[in-house]
Amino acid sequence: MLATVRPHSWDLPLFLHVLGAMVLVGALATAALLAFAAWRRPGVSVYGRAALWSLLVVGVPAYVVMRVGAQWTYSKEGFTGKDDPTWIGIGFMAADFGLLLLLATTGVAFWWQRSGKIAAARTVSVLSSVYLILLAVAWFAMSAK
Amino acid sequence: MSTVDWLLALHVTGAFFLVGGSVMAATLNVLALRSTVPSESAQLLRLIKTTVIVIGIGVVLTLVLGLWLVHRVGYSYGAFWVWAAIALWVIVNALGGIGGRHQERARELAERLAAEGDTPSDELRALLRDRRGNAMSYGAGLATLLILVLMIWKPGA
Repeated sequence: MLATVRPHSWDLPLFLHVLGAMVLVGALATAALLAFAAWRRPGVSVYGRAALWSLLVVGVPAYVVMRVGAQWTYSKEGFTGKDDPTWIGIGFMAADFGLLLLLATTGVAFWWQRSGKIAAARTVSVLSSVYLILLAVAWFAMSAK
Repeated sequence: MSTVDWLLALHVTGAFFLVGGSVMAATLNVLALRSTVPSESAQLLRLIKTTVIVIGIGVVLTLVLGLWLVHRVGYSYGAFWVWAAIALWVIVNALGGIGGRHQERARELAERLAAEGDTPSDELRALLRDRRGNAMSYGAGLATLLILVLMIWKPGA
């Protein structure tokens, strides 16, 4: 049904958007997992280094691919910003507020890696979890429309 | 929301679990490979167990809800993109299972070496860099990517 209403020229931008979002979720979930593991084992220094690497090397490029794919799909579908459907607004909110969250999480992960402080690990776990919930709301709204 | 809307949203949720969990496992595996001492590799490889649960949820949701969607929307099970995706799903599980067992062997060795003095080991490095073991995991990742391509382009629909 979807294939019959969506022209094939939209497929590549949509693929990039979805793939970027899925990899971003993986990177954030990795950072969250490492940060929660640090709550139980605060002395393990590799967790902080691994969380920063996951966010910087995997998360940030995935965000760029997701966001570029989103804008490309948006222009292909002919939306103008006037009377756009609600699910588009939810997507933009998750992307734009999410960028702030991603940068803040990466910054705190850098602090965690440098200082080894458990407060930094706990902040990373909270920020990455909040962003994951935001992304889950967005993918649910965008797939169900 | 209609039944199809719910099925599609939950099917996509399953895909996020499957791909997201695979990214988690791959990231932790690469980081374990880059670690200098066995204890660090062991700490990271131990966390892969959690990602297996995430991947498992994704594997079940994508297949069950995907087949339900095909039936509900009225696609043909004989359409190329449907049967090819099912075949790739089987390949993902087979390769992922073999790759997972390889990572499990690496974790056991890393934990033993960590308990025996935690000095860098050529044996662990060789196991973590083993081409066959890693090829299985990367093959599973590639097959997952191909499933996503089929789901978007739907060739033969």
